[in-house]
Amino acid sequence: MCETETQLIAKATTGNKEAFSMLVEKYQKPVFSVCYRMLGTPTAAEDAAQEAFIRAYQALDRYDPDRSFATWILSIASNYSIDQLRKKKVTILSMDSEKHAWLAPPDPGPSPEKVALVKEKNALVQAILADLPETDRAAVILQYWHDYSYEEIAETLDLSSSAVKSRLFRARKLMAEKWQEMQLISAPNVNAAAKRIAHETSTI
Amino acid sequence: MKHQQYENWILMDEELNKEQQRDLHRHLKQCSQCQALYQASHQITHLFKTMPEPTPAAGFSTRWLKQIDKAEKRKNRLILFITLGGISLATMILLSTVGLELRSVMGSFPQMMFELVTLIANWFVFFNQISDIITPLFRVGAKLLSPVWLYVSVFGLSGITAAWTISFYRSRGMQKELNQ
Repeated sequence: MCETETQLIAKATTGNKEAFSMLVEKYQKPVFSVCYRMLGTPTAAEDAAQEAFIRAYQALDRYDPDRSFATWILSIASNYSIDQLRKKKVTILSMDSEKHAWLAPPDPGPSPEKVALVKEKNALVQAILADLPETDRAAVILQYWHDYSYEEIAETLDLSSSAVKSRLFRARKLMAEKWQEMQLISAPNVNAAAKRIAHETSTI
Repeated sequence: MKHQQYENWILMDEELNKEQQRDLHRHLKQCSQCQALYQASHQITHLFKTMPEPTPAAGFSTRWLKQIDKAEKRKNRLILFITLGGISLATMILLSTVGLELRSVMGSFPQMMFELVTLIANWFVFFNQISDIITPLFRVGAKLLSPVWLYVSVFGLSGITAAWTISFYRSRGMQKELNQ
């Protein structure tokens, strides 16, 4: 029998870990994605995502059922990642700098070229995000990869909608400047990937 | 229109109406700076949107179940540690308080005994002095009052008391008769 999210939450609130693990199964991808984009390494993302779910489970009695569970869990993951970045000043590494034990391959049986391309693009994305302030980075991630509205981002990051607007405006400007810089510098991987993206967009 | 307005339109992520779009494109043809910004913004959006969503390695929820068990054990250990720590601290405070009290009592015990002996000695001296004052008085009294004088005095006082009592009752009886 397939249980609804509300039923699973109700069960989990009484201490049923199996019920909560079904919620973990459902939301692992967006939570991991946020943590990965925020922290930049699969290992850090795995740890942060696990910790976010642990915190959510332990704080389940404080969860407001009128609020979306997805927004709530992403809020925990985003804020935990922001705290991690502030505490440890995690350096965003490129995909090449770490073993990918906690990251599933892009799709079943990818070709080496595709893997290389994804790595290149990932390095580019992380390089662009690296210079953004923590909260701005979280706002960008929620908007671009999770299609969150200003209001949803505001709720997730505990900000006002106008603050989200101004943060996203500032972030877009910083990212565009970074992008322009990267096209000028001669970092081989990043430069090649940036040029490829430029070519892709010109052909669209 | 000012250059800043075009920059805002590029970065604001809001739908422009047709007139604004025409205006912006006219400006982009003239302004290389805005054109570069527009292209960069466009390319970044394309890059982000075409990135595959990172997925955790298989078995994430199983790993989570192990993690939550570990976290709960850690939490329980912490609670136990805090409880035992609290009890130990309370016991230590209690024992040290009692110990200090005992030590202070033990420390002043000879002094306390000395004070007690001094008090008893003082009382002894006091009673001794009182007896020194009273004893001569008794001796003088005994010498002054001979047995004859003693008998005369005792019988005399008894007689006076008896006479006064009889006269008192008689006067009360006479008073009652007059009232009747």
